[in-house]
Amino acid sequence: MKTEKESIAVNKQQPAVEVDSVSIRFMLPHDGDSSGPGKKGLLARIKPSPKREFWALQDVSFEVKKGEIIGIIGSNGAGKSTLLKIIAGIFPPTRGRVKTQGTVAPLLELGAAFNPELTGLENIYLTGSIYRIPRKVIREQINNIVDFSGLEKFIRVPIKNYSSGMFMRLAFSLVIFFKPEIVLIDEVFAVGDEVFQQKSFERILSFRKKGAAIVLVTHDANLITQICDRVLVLSDGKASYLGGAEEAVRHYRHLIQGGEGLDAKRQEPPPEPESKRWGSKEVEIVSVDFADERGQEKKEFLPGDYFEACIRYRSALKNKKPIFGVAVSTIYKLLIYGPNTLEAEFPEDIPSSGVIRFIIPEIPLMEGDYLFSAAVYDETLSKAFDHHEKMYHFRILADKRKEFGSVRIRSLWKMEHE
Amino acid sequence: MRNAWKEVTSYQELLGNLIVTELKLRYRESFLGFLWTVLNPLFFLLVLALVFSQIIKFQMENYTMFLFAGMASYLMIQQTVLIATGSIVNNQGLIKKVSVPKIIFPLSNVLARFVDHLALILILLLFMVYFRMDFNWSLISLVPLILLHFLFSLGFSLMASVAYIRVRDVQHILSIGFQAFFYLSPIIYPTGVLPKGMQKIFLFNPFYYFIQSFRYPIYHGQFPPLMIWSVTFFLTVVVLGIGLWVFYKKEKSFVFQLS
Repeated sequence: MKTEKESIAVNKQQPAVEVDSVSIRFMLPHDGDSSGPGKKGLLARIKPSPKREFWALQDVSFEVKKGEIIGIIGSNGAGKSTLLKIIAGIFPPTRGRVKTQGTVAPLLELGAAFNPELTGLENIYLTGSIYRIPRKVIREQINNIVDFSGLEKFIRVPIKNYSSGMFMRLAFSLVIFFKPEIVLIDEVFAVGDEVFQQKSFERILSFRKKGAAIVLVTHDANLITQICDRVLVLSDGKASYLGGAEEAVRHYRHLIQGGEGLDAKRQEPPPEPESKRWGSKEVEIVSVDFADERGQEKKEFLPGDYFEACIRYRSALKNKKPIFGVAVSTIYKLLIYGPNTLEAEFPEDIPSSGVIRFIIPEIPLMEGDYLFSAAVYDETLSKAFDHHEKMYHFRILADKRKEFGSVRIRSLWKMEHE
Repeated sequence: MRNAWKEVTSYQELLGNLIVTELKLRYRESFLGFLWTVLNPLFFLLVLALVFSQIIKFQMENYTMFLFAGMASYLMIQQTVLIATGSIVNNQGLIKKVSVPKIIFPLSNVLARFVDHLALILILLLFMVYFRMDFNWSLISLVPLILLHFLFSLGFSLMASVAYIRVRDVQHILSIGFQAFFYLSPIIYPTGVLPKGMQKIFLFNPFYYFIQSFRYPIYHGQFPPLMIWSVTFFLTVVVLGIGLWVFYKKEKSFVFQLS
């Protein structure tokens, strides 16, 4: 860690973000105390509840140069998000200091500054002024922003009437056109619901070429090794490693698998699937399970394994043919594949209860977490009977092959003499 | 102080947007829109004027204008402070998610209120025409006087908004306090209702000076005397100074205390 620090110090380029031995302390209400943080009355004041100190970060230092992507990795509660909030200027550090050069776009929560009562257009100007983008600049860009968002028709509608997708589009388009010099990305940010987001995510990463410094918080080791120049590993609020991505990920794996008395099986918890469910329930999906070829229920597969999703349903439908569909997406909500039973030539009448099996003989996915959606619609695919949007999660483990990416495409290498 | 000025000037577009937003949202869906803010105190004023001049019969020339001048001063401070008390708590969503100077929030609340107050002052001037009051140069003094009211309310609001974060009773206490001072101050009655010896008691009431300061140009057609100027100025400096000091001392802890 020392040598890493020195090598940066030698670099002449001025860092965009300087985090200098930052520590932060939270005062938590003591366990078992009846007066929770919700109580703000005079009585609570007179009898202050005993507080417990909690140091969420201790003596963390690093720098981000212009044009560099730094990843921050660590298990839940290691202080990753807190660190981002300190860089964003939301939390003041208890000790140490943070220096930033240029406009900071904290993508911690999209559209955080939006006022639901205002129209899309008004919100663009409001958010712009929060990031101190001069009104003049916004006025020049306004058509581009609106075009990119694809919300021309709704731009004069209060955003409380927007769907979550529209909300996201507006928020993303804003960030992209504000051309921030420092981008702070929290993993949860990437979890939304559209391909549009993946596009925007890539667009934001491309700011690096224009000299933006990017700090990315995630626990996706795959993503880290793919895009980050350097990685900071946080463990219990302390910087336990800072250096090259591959090394850092190895260090991180070691840390969570055995280093600290955890048993090897206890990995970080899977990402919370975003439970969204809708539909008229005329046909109801009762359960969705994943299994291998022997019908053994499991949630972790290797690339190339047999993969089966068993969708148990109940139907009260008469003389109508329901269409079942599934979707596999990355945790960044990039839809990888979304087939349905229109192709399956199922009979007109389905039994009133049963199991639909979606089988991938050799799953072509690589290491990572994936989200699974299951749905049943009417024949025109316009009316949802029961839609379970990204409610299920499975994981693909790493195998021995040294490859990168999220999909294994069947391919060959050839060599020929000229 | 210099710090506050720098923060505000570098975020003046945000400040402008917040004020416009507040005014726009307040009036977007009501039919008479902006008028309501003005009509509300105006009706209260007319009721009081009717009760005290016709029924209780104060022996006074132009009682309505006497009342209006005092009310204008009182309302400027009372309405502003009561609204701005919640300025930090009500914007906690923003404070916990983006980094902006916190003073923007009470300041935008106070400024938005003063836009309303300026409308009230305009009506007050119309009343002066109607009651054929003496229009003279002393009215110029309203400009610095309104500025003093503004800065005094701002200082008061800064303290109240900080206190409100931890003690939610502040709003109720303030509201009762203001009500008490409405009757304890010579707004609906002249100081002369008390016997001569007791009149000194008003001198301990900070609102007394602000109320009187408006009465001089509006009701008496005179510049306020030096005593009024110096006391209101002194009160404003003290309250604003303490307000800024408390606000900046506590500013960093806001994000931890909001929940």
